[in-house]
Amino acid sequence: MSSTTITRREFLKIAGASLGALAVGQMLPIKVAEAARRAGMLDINGNGYIPTMCEMCVWRCGVRAKVKDGRVVKLEGNPEHPHSLGHLCARGQSGLMNTYDPDRVLTPLIRVGQRGEGKFREASWEEALDLAASKMQEIKDKYGPEAMVFSSTHNLSQVQFENLLNAYGSPNYGTQRSLCFNAMIVANQMTYGLEEPFRNYDGLKYLILTGRNLMEAISTSETSILSHAIDKGLKVVYIDPRFTKTAAKATDWCAIRPGTDLAFHLALLNVIISEDRYNHDFVEKYTVGFDQLAAEVENYTPEWAAPITDIKADVIRRIAREFSDAAPYAMAHNGWRTSNFENSFQTQRAIACLNALVGNWGIHLLPAAAEGAGLGAPPQPPYPRASAMRLDGVPWKYPLVPFKLGVFQELRDAIIAEQPYKAHGWFIARQNPVQSLPDRNKTLAAMSKMDFIAVVDIFLNDTAWFADVVLPEASYLERYDPLNVVGDLAFIRQPVIQPQGEAKSALWIYKELGKRLGLEDYFQYIDEEDYLRQQLAPLGMTLEEVRQKGYARLSGGSDEVEFTWNTPSGKVELFSGTLDNAGFNALPTWEEPPRPSAGKFYLLTGKVGRHTQFGTQNNQLLRKYQDEPRLWMNPVSAKALGLQDNDLVKVTSAVGEVNIQLWVTQAIRSDCVYLTPGYGHLSKGLTTGYGVGASDSVLHVTFTDPISGSQALTQTFVSVTAA
Amino acid sequence: MSETTSNENDYGFLIDASRCIDCRACLVACSVQNETPMETTRIWIKETGVTGQFPDLERYSAPYHCMHCEDPSCLSACTVGALQKGENGIVTYDQDRCIGCRYCMYACPFQVPNYEWKQQLPLIVKCDMCISRLGEGESEPACAATCPTDAIIFGRKSEMLAEAHRRIEENPGKYIDHVYGEHENGGTATFYVSPAPFEDLGFPSAGEMSPAYSNRLVTHGTPTVAGAVAVGLSSIYLTIKHHEEAMEALKNGSTHEADNAADEETQVAAQEAA
Repeated sequence: MSSTTITRREFLKIAGASLGALAVGQMLPIKVAEAARRAGMLDINGNGYIPTMCEMCVWRCGVRAKVKDGRVVKLEGNPEHPHSLGHLCARGQSGLMNTYDPDRVLTPLIRVGQRGEGKFREASWEEALDLAASKMQEIKDKYGPEAMVFSSTHNLSQVQFENLLNAYGSPNYGTQRSLCFNAMIVANQMTYGLEEPFRNYDGLKYLILTGRNLMEAISTSETSILSHAIDKGLKVVYIDPRFTKTAAKATDWCAIRPGTDLAFHLALLNVIISEDRYNHDFVEKYTVGFDQLAAEVENYTPEWAAPITDIKADVIRRIAREFSDAAPYAMAHNGWRTSNFENSFQTQRAIACLNALVGNWGIHLLPAAAEGAGLGAPPQPPYPRASAMRLDGVPWKYPLVPFKLGVFQELRDAIIAEQPYKAHGWFIARQNPVQSLPDRNKTLAAMSKMDFIAVVDIFLNDTAWFADVVLPEASYLERYDPLNVVGDLAFIRQPVIQPQGEAKSALWIYKELGKRLGLEDYFQYIDEEDYLRQQLAPLGMTLEEVRQKGYARLSGGSDEVEFTWNTPSGKVELFSGTLDNAGFNALPTWEEPPRPSAGKFYLLTGKVGRHTQFGTQNNQLLRKYQDEPRLWMNPVSAKALGLQDNDLVKVTSAVGEVNIQLWVTQAIRSDCVYLTPGYGHLSKGLTTGYGVGASDSVLHVTFTDPISGSQALTQTFVSVTAA
Repeated sequence: MSETTSNENDYGFLIDASRCIDCRACLVACSVQNETPMETTRIWIKETGVTGQFPDLERYSAPYHCMHCEDPSCLSACTVGALQKGENGIVTYDQDRCIGCRYCMYACPFQVPNYEWKQQLPLIVKCDMCISRLGEGESEPACAATCPTDAIIFGRKSEMLAEAHRRIEENPGKYIDHVYGEHENGGTATFYVSPAPFEDLGFPSAGEMSPAYSNRLVTHGTPTVAGAVAVGLSSIYLTIKHHEEAMEALKNGSTHEADNAADEETQVAAQEAA
């Protein structure tokens, strides 16, 4: 084993020595610091800066971590990383509070009370891993590998999580993707043959943001670039039923009716085609189906869209003209969490077509770098064939949803109904489905059907609260992850402090579980450093060089092949033959969304700058500077209901109810209410976040788009009364 | 009259409310950098809130911290020399000298010094431009370094002021024609430009004359802690009076007259107190 990875024997010694969470960094033999010193990152006293990557959200900014006496004391944005450009957001700045949170789980836990009582006892890794592996093996032997559900959310070690589930042989895999961006990805695949293009703002003159609240749902570099572009005169049209902090910076804010983004974009297509404002050259050379698209949108005039969207016809026409006048320096942004209504897939198709019509490909939309391209990987034997039907209905109910994306929210009905077969176990890593999936009661009901639940996390999150075994992961400042490719650079996440307590990296946990499940041939790396060395092998760079520099440059690029779209026609498909063959609309087509009945509101969701989903509410530094979560309501509606600012109200949907304080504000349409997501934690293991705010997952009704498998998060309607 | 120590090496901030997105990265960065206790802060967000009638709405915000005045009122009110104006125009705080009297809090027309109310031995909390961080070779304070939109920039004071005027002049109609901090309280090292009036952002309408002058009339010549309470109270009285009169006059529409009036009044009051 390499010198910077602690052996089991050393590890037990350390564990015995560690007493308090906050003091641990100083008490451990500082192996990480020793290695960093040898690499010249820390001085003789153990002080200095270590380059690594943030994990407070999924944007992965480059970080310079300041280390002093074996503790991380400050995080800086790394100017060399294209995602941070030298900056970090509030979450990034609070990252060391995540690592030093007194609520960290620092030793494996085994449940002793009833599920949900939160009673656990501390266990050794040996015992916890043996227990998890034996339960998983028992389920596989008795019921087949498909009886074990695996789920995990976007992270750099996910590749080895997927390795574990594929080697184990289960087809049942739940990710955050269907709760987030399935609509966009499937639409881009149908249109451009790729998941998501890279967006280039250089020279951009006109931007349409459809709910992409970049000033609050912050992606540091993109937020920074947008802000500077606005300063230099970029025109921004922002479409959102809420007056967000992005709306406040936009040239135009259109307070659109929820669910009608599609009608707005269809009307833009109508104007651009009917007034002959499209890029003929691009359309003729690189697209198929223009004539069918022109025929389809012929009746979607701004006058048609105005009463649907609540945006005036002349405004829509003006935006279409300004957008096409700015072409090709114009871009319609896909958005981020694009799953709002069941028609969101069609909205995403319309956005993709809109970009094609103004010919901005190669200027503002570029092919994104492939994950892991140019890097080595540990050798792998072939996986066993998973022949059982997937419980989430892919592809037998959802033929066009890629296996990788899945339809997470649909798993639960199958688990509860035990159809087409019964699931017995759930292995969950770095994910909190109790808070993330719609309809929390349904998630809890599905969990109660399980014989065995194991959770990997750094906290006792709401899902871990119901687990049988909790495996404590090292935080992102304490561990290695596989390299992350951005453009032609591969960035490293490396430990800047020794893991506290007994926390271990995901790479180690999955390998140890694999070993115990007889799957060690699938984990052909000795330790985390060996894994990274295998990744770096083709580049001729040593791990030590990359640790010091923070990244490795990928080779190649000189003999670039001409880009082709990976669609059946090899062109941009305005008319999608794939959709047609599957029996879906081959063109962006109006689909009427449901509307709330009298006295009910659209329940809107959307991020705030201080938090990432439901993972950061326990962070004391973010709590210090957050706004108390309240339910937004327009004064017109509040008056009609006899409610006042700060009143405690009861919000009721078809599946649940919560109590929350009211914020009466002009910043929202009168037919909508908005609830800050991520609050209302159930776990008492989150002592800072517990009891604060209310959970929108309690209220959200499960609605799945049949094409992309997206959860329609804004299709839930609620009533509001005094509590 | 003023004890201005402004020189070409002075540092300054330029804060642009048109760029601030109220993300609060600066607040968190400041707390971490300066190990500020959880219940207090050196930096806030001032905001207009959502203004206007749906759907014609506006909203502006800006981070707010010590202005680093040329002639700091806090310094003049401090009877033990815990507040000092340092080399680069930075108003620093020495916790070893502080006796916790909080006169500086009352003296500051910008309401900047904060207090660790919950600590057993409470200290004053205020921005010192991350002086220790600058000493370690970093080029900017933590707030400016992390700001994702460069709403806070940091550099030579003269350059910050020139940039503030450049932004106003080169973008007609974008900003109100006022660099907050240029003349307030006799001049500061923190300059603001904003599309919204500063009153709407909740900024105090500090007069153009620092009450430090009148405070000095009573604090000078009384270096011992012995008479500190009486001296401090006089300073506070003068400061508040000065401030209130300036505010009152502002409401009546004339900033200049307000300053003169307040100034005369405080001089009279100062003599009486002495």
